Amino acid sequence: MEKNKTRPVFLNLLQIRLPIGGVVSILHRATGVLLVLTLPWLLYGLQQSLSGPAEYAAIMARLTTLPARVLMLVLLWMFAQHFFSGIRHLLLDLDLGMEKHAARRLAWLTLAASALVLVLAGIAL
Amino acid sequence: MNAPRSIGSARAGLGEWYIQRITSIYLAGFTIYLVLRLWLDPLPDYVAWRSWFAQGPVRLAWGLFIASLLVHAWIGLRSVFMDYLRPAALRFVASLLVGFGLLALGLWAAQILFASNT
Repeated sequence: MEKNKTRPVFLNLLQIRLPIGGVVSILHRATGVLLVLTLPWLLYGLQQSLSGPAEYAAIMARLTTLPARVLMLVLLWMFAQHFFSGIRHLLLDLDLGMEKHAARRLAWLTLAASALVLVLAGIAL
Repeated sequence: MNAPRSIGSARAGLGEWYIQRITSIYLAGFTIYLVLRLWLDPLPDYVAWRSWFAQGPVRLAWGLFIASLLVHAWIGLRSVFMDYLRPAALRFVASLLVGFGLLALGLWAAQILFASNT
């Protein structure tokens, strides 16, 4: 297959306006990658919390500090966004929400749902 | 040049796609279970937390969760690498590091779960 070297290429990321479905799709990837990076810390926390009463208390004390609370909220939002946009992917696989308006509503819905989780968690923490 | 490029193994891509969906269903299901479990019957202190983990089915469910998570992460990161990382050598090194990293996390998780059986 011969490549057309003169075909127009437009890749100015500052000017490309992604539809909401594209934004949510990129968010799914970005949150996925970031969540993987947190795994070593989460596993360390799990190990400490199970190793003894003193370690458990130390972890719990660290989690109640303000920076830890903010980080937990960010982490929770990323997880919730990935969770809901993941469900969106599963629905799209089943050919649900494929029509343009339904697809846009579904994409907005994932953002609304993760925002709701963030608010509820913010109240609870 | 009119020769077609190799299309590779036709089944491989579909297999990954499928495994990504299957693991996602377990991950989502376990997440919902965990939220409901901790909400309806909180584990307020070390003793409650530890004795919950001492139950075989709980540790099995956690083990499946962590295994699914690592497989899901592997397939997800691989597809991100395949889309954005060039040249192929960079992609290879990144996949190698992530692969061994995730494997190490899995072994570490197994150690944690086996150690908390009492």
